[in-house]
This record gives sequence, structure tokens and C-alpha cells, in this order.
Amino acid sequence: MIVSGQIQKLIADQEGWTRRMFEEGIKIKKLYGEDNVYDFSLGNPDTEPPRELQKMIAEMLLNPVKGMHRYMTNSGYEDVRAEIAGYLEETHGLPFTASHVFMTNGSAGGLNILLKSMLNRGDEVIVPTPFFWEFKNYVVNHGGKLKTVRSMDDFQLDVDRMAAAITPRTRAVLLNSPNNPTGAVYSQKSISDLVALLNARRSRGQDIYLIADDAYRKLVYDGITLPNLFKAYDLTFSINSHSKDLALPGERIGYIAISPRIAEADLLVSGLMITQRTLGFVNAPALFQRVAARFQRTSVDIGEYQRKRDVLYNALMEGGFECVKPEGAFYMFPRSPIADELVFVRMLQQDERIMVVPGRGFGKKGHFRIAYCVPMETIQKSVEGFIRIGKRFIKR
Amino acid sequence: MGISKAISKSMRDSSWIRAMFEEGEKMKKIHGPENILDFTLGNPVMEPPARLKEELVRLVTSDDPGMHRYMTNSGYEDVRAEIAEFHSQRTGLPFTRDHIVMTVGSAGGMNVVLKSLLDPGNEVIVLTPFFVEFKFYIENHGGVMKLVPTTEDFHLDVGKIEAAITRKTKAIIINSPNNPTGAVYSDKELLDLADLLRRRREKGHRIFLLSDEAYRKILYDGVVLPDVFSIYEDTISVTSHSKDLALPGERIGYITASPRITNLKPLMDAMIFSNRILGFINAPALMQRLVSRFQKNSVDILDYQKKRDALYNILVEAGLSVVKPMGAFYIFPRSPIPDDIAFVRELQKHRILAVPGVGFGTPGHFRLAYCIPMDVIERSRKHFLELGLRNGKK
Repeated sequence: MIVSGQIQKLIADQEGWTRRMFEEGIKIKKLYGEDNVYDFSLGNPDTEPPRELQKMIAEMLLNPVKGMHRYMTNSGYEDVRAEIAGYLEETHGLPFTASHVFMTNGSAGGLNILLKSMLNRGDEVIVPTPFFWEFKNYVVNHGGKLKTVRSMDDFQLDVDRMAAAITPRTRAVLLNSPNNPTGAVYSQKSISDLVALLNARRSRGQDIYLIADDAYRKLVYDGITLPNLFKAYDLTFSINSHSKDLALPGERIGYIAISPRIAEADLLVSGLMITQRTLGFVNAPALFQRVAARFQRTSVDIGEYQRKRDVLYNALMEGGFECVKPEGAFYMFPRSPIADELVFVRMLQQDERIMVVPGRGFGKKGHFRIAYCVPMETIQKSVEGFIRIGKRFIKR
Repeated sequence: MGISKAISKSMRDSSWIRAMFEEGEKMKKIHGPENILDFTLGNPVMEPPARLKEELVRLVTSDDPGMHRYMTNSGYEDVRAEIAEFHSQRTGLPFTRDHIVMTVGSAGGMNVVLKSLLDPGNEVIVLTPFFVEFKFYIENHGGVMKLVPTTEDFHLDVGKIEAAITRKTKAIIINSPNNPTGAVYSDKELLDLADLLRRRREKGHRIFLLSDEAYRKILYDGVVLPDVFSIYEDTISVTSHSKDLALPGERIGYITASPRITNLKPLMDAMIFSNRILGFINAPALMQRLVSRFQKNSVDILDYQKKRDALYNILVEAGLSVVKPMGAFYIFPRSPIPDDIAFVRELQKHRILAVPGVGFGTPGHFRLAYCIPMDVIERSRKHFLELGLRNGKK
């Protein structure tokens, strides 16, 4: 065969239904016209980066500094890292320095180099489900095993199940809060229970690292605050991306924050330097490192996302759907009124021209994901369809 | 232990590089960096072409929406179409955008190709002296590197390559113009290699030619780079704009797969998929738009050629045995003593920093990178002559 066995298998794992859905979607768009199809399948925001950010890029390029497009050390510019460390110190109340920040090609790049630096063949990484499917690919890339653990019905952590899933090979727990695909934000209680579990293992000599995929950390609603993981647990990494909060997904910029409480932080950074280089990233894109440094305290308009959530959530309630109200990110994960969500997702496409992703794409059948990072107009036009199809299934 | 065993091993293996680097840094502190002649880094001091900088300003000040969004994992369609057109013109082969994957430089591109091709235990032939990163790229994806020496003047030894092929051989990597030797492979030797690979193919064993073309535009004395796509069917090239457009920090390059590869579709799909799951997702958006318009441009090659001439003459005058490079910005002289690490230490005493050949799998040599200001090269003359090799002291 022309391609490697592993890649073939990974592609096949997801290809069957995604490809079918994708192709049917194209057909429907052709049939009815793009404007009459409501596509909620992609987590690709239609927002533009903040105005001031665009202005800053232009200013930087109009006043070029010599060497601004050259290589730098694999971890990124020292002044950029120092500036981000200042923000982290202020946010988390711990003594972050430049050496605790490692600039990466988005969070996908960050997760890959961190996992490659940490995992020995056969090491296990625990992930609560439903989960972002790419986590599986990232773990498998570097010889690890993904162990999925069901969350509670409200998508909070089921710490008892997590405890049962821990083995001597467990190396890390990977959390994503605000969560893709559920929009859940892990509560203080979820986190405290998990930390108690991890500390108990630690006291018996097993260090399990907590890896927080914080790609959506600034997208939280109703004024809630995220639990401070760095304060809660010593062995914590946070993986950050500016794809969502600064709307720069195409430019691939983010960073790893390493807890100052990790004793072996320097050793880990040396490891990251090697994996950053040898996996082919070499360094995070130079120009956007400088941009990211100055915009740590900025974010796209969260109020707008919250309004979109509200309109959509209210429509789902009116349609009689069962859905946990999201507290962050821009996803909702309602229960499918038909046990086989593939059937329902296809009905939504055929009958209402609404496109969503089946829950099995996130390791949880019987649900579907709505990504509402789309124009408000699209949401408003789809409301009727959601209500209509929902009402067909309301049992009296 | 916080880090994986494989990575700890890599760290130990590269410890001598670090040691040398630190000695160099120490010398810079003692004597002042301006008094140290640093030939160790392949990091060009050149700036991108002025027109490219203007275009970059134009791009970011235009009000086009969606400039920084995700696009398909292989890159923007119009960018790939423009690059394909460039390759079609150059080679006469029917390249389309479906033969191009935009990547995070050539380091990203190599990882994507190897991950897509290799099953555990597959062998990849690499020619020595070689760019040491190839070893990591191959091992990252479960492959085994098989080293094959080149000839005395750093050209292909097709007989040795043939002897190294086994049933597990999946690919051979060539890098021309070469790091660290500056050698440029000729049509003749590449045709011989293609004949060898084709003979295997006829027996049902397909071997891919993986051409690292990071230095493709940096060629001297009017030399023309042979077109590998016309020479061999199963060819994939990996290109970067780190050197020719002086954009190393921005991480932009691309993979080109030959339209002559049979059953190409699954391979392209696999590469696009690997680009995603390795965490690259896509090549940086803004830089994609930029480089598509500069496929025919490059930094000032004549400037590099002048530097090559100056350094080559100095080395010959100093009594070193050296093959004249025809491209890239490296030169790989023979060490006057067999122990190249000892000789590099000796050079340090004369305030010259170089990389020992053992770092490229070829002890007994050392590498000088001359992508540095001309005055450093000129000032180095005195120091190279001080080695006293002409007088037979060493």
C-alpha cells in the first residue's frame, strides 16, 4: 500500500461517516443554494481579529525591525515569553517567568510536542468523553494510549470513573474546559475531586500530569470564572491557542504554560526544544508571536457569542430537546431524539437543511454537536427548523 | 521522570553540540562577540526581498475579510494553483493544485511525508554527510535510517546505494544543493539513481525519491538544478522559503508530489491528514498568500557566491583540503587531523567557531556556514592562516 498502515487506520476510523455527511452536505448546498443551508458543522469562527490587533500588524510591517523574520530559539522570543509570563502571573497568582512559557503553533502544535516529550510507548492518557477526536490522534502519534472515561449526564467530571481508569501506566489527564463539544465548564467541585484523586496517587509515588487544553478559556458566559488549575494542582500544564479568542486560527499561534511548581520544568523545556524542532515546527511563526504577546488581555466580543447561545438554546428548549446549557466555548451538545443520531442528523439535513455533527465524532453516540460560531442571521433563520423537527418527537 | 526515555536519549546524544555551543558562548563573553568568527549557524543574516516586504504590508492593510481564518488543511486553493503553475512551467509536467500541500517549512513537510509513508521498521536511505535532523524525522514515525556514504567529492555512489537497499526500503532522501557539503547532484548521477530505483520497481518494489529542496535556488556559476520530477516517477519534493526568501522564522514551505505517481490520491489524502494530526493543521495563512507570488524570486544569490569565493580561497590558501561548493551556503573541508572534534577545538583557540563533521555522520571533516556578513569572512583569513597548516606545523 502506498500509505502507512497507521494512517490508513486513523483515516478509516473517522472517514466513513464524516465523508458521507460532508458529501451529502455539498449536495444539499448545491440543490438549495449556500444561503438556504444552515451549516453548524464547523468550529471555524466567522469573526475577524480585533481592530487594534490588525492595526498593530500593519504598524509592525510598516516599521520593520531587522531580523524580524529570522529564526529564534525553539521556545520563541524571550521578550514575548516574558510578557506572557507577566500575564500568567497576574491571572494565576504564581511566579511564572519566561522559562515557563513555550510558544507553539496553536494548541494542536502544543499538545503534540508536549505529548511527544512526555510519553513512553504504552503510556496512557485519560480523557473524559465526549471529547475532541483529535486528542486520540495526538496521543497515538507518540506511542500513547487514549483511555476515555464517560462524563456525568451534565458533562461534569465523573471522578469515580476516572479513578477506576487509572493504571500504573497513566501519565496524564487531558481536560478541555470550556469544552468542545459540550460547552461545559468544569465546576470547582469537579476540579477539586479530580485533584484529590491525583494527589492521592502522588502520595503513593505516581505523578500524573494535568494537561488543560485551554483553547476556549476566554469564551465563558454569565460572568462565571474558571477554576484556577495551577493553584489547585502542582503538576499542571495549560495549552493555549489564539485561534478562538483573537480569531487567528489560520496563523497557528499559541503557547504552553508550565506550572512554576513543577520541579523538573527546566528538563521538560529542554525536551520541548527537541520535539518542537524534530517534529518540524522549529518555532512558532515569528510575526504572530509578537502579536500574541501584546494581546493576552484582549478577546473577541464574548457578548455576541452569548447572545447566539441564548437564541439557539431557547429554540432547542421550545422544540423539546434535551440539552445541557453551555457555559462557554461555542458548542452545544443536545441529545438526539432518535437513539441513532446518524439517522436524526440526516433528517435535519434533508428536512430542515440544517447541518450538524453526529455525537459519535466525539465518542458519544445519541447526541449531536451544534457549532454556533456562525452569523446571527444563520441562527435566526434556523430557529424555526429546530423547533419544527423537535416537536415531531415530543411524546405526549 | 518528567520526560520520555526517547527524548532523554536525544538530549544526551546531542550533549556535545551543546558543550561546543556553550564554549562558543563563553568565548563571545570573554573576547566580545565581534571578535569571534562564528561559522556555526545556518541562519542567514539576509533580509527578505524589498518587494516581498511591500507585498506583506499591502496584504495586511487590505480590508479583505477572512484573511486569518482556517482553510483546508492542504492550504489555500489559489495559492496551491499558483505554485502548481510555476512547477508546470518549469518541468512541463501537468501539476495542479492537488499535487501541492502547503507546510510549516520543509521540516514540517518532511515529517508529513514520512508519517504518511512509513510503517514501523521501514527503511529510509540517507546519504552521508547528512543533515542530522533527518534521523529524527524518520524515527519520529517508526522508520529506520540507513546511512550510505557519498563519493570523496560528495556525489552519489549508486553502487553503494544499491547495496543498501533491502525489501524494507521505502524511500531515499536526497538534499541537493546539500547541507553540509554544498554539493549539487548532476543529471547523470540522478539518472543512474533513477535507473536503479526503476529496476526495483519492475520487480514490484516501489521506492520513493524524497527530494529536500530547501536550497534549490541557491546555485552558483550558472549551474542548473536537474528536475527530479522528470527524472523519476515516484518523486516527492519538499521546499522551504526559509533560505530563498529569507523567511525562516515564519515557517512556510510546501510539498510537491509528482503527477506521475500512480495511485496518488490516497497518498495526498494521507499527507493532508498527517498535516492535520501532527498539529500543523495548516501552513501559516498570511505567509501562504505572500509566498505564492514570489515563486520566481529569491534573495541575492550573487552575494552568497562572493562569500563562497572569498571563503573557499582563504581555506585553500590556508592549506585545507576542500571541495568547492556549487550551492547552498555551506562548505565542508577535510580536517587536517582525523579527530574533527579536536580540530574544531583548535579552531576555537583561533577564535573560529565551526561544527565538527561527526555531527553530520562524517568524522574527519568540519562544516562552515557562510551565510554571515562578508567582513567576518574577510577577517577570518588571518585566523585560518595562523593555523600554520602550510608550514607543516600540524
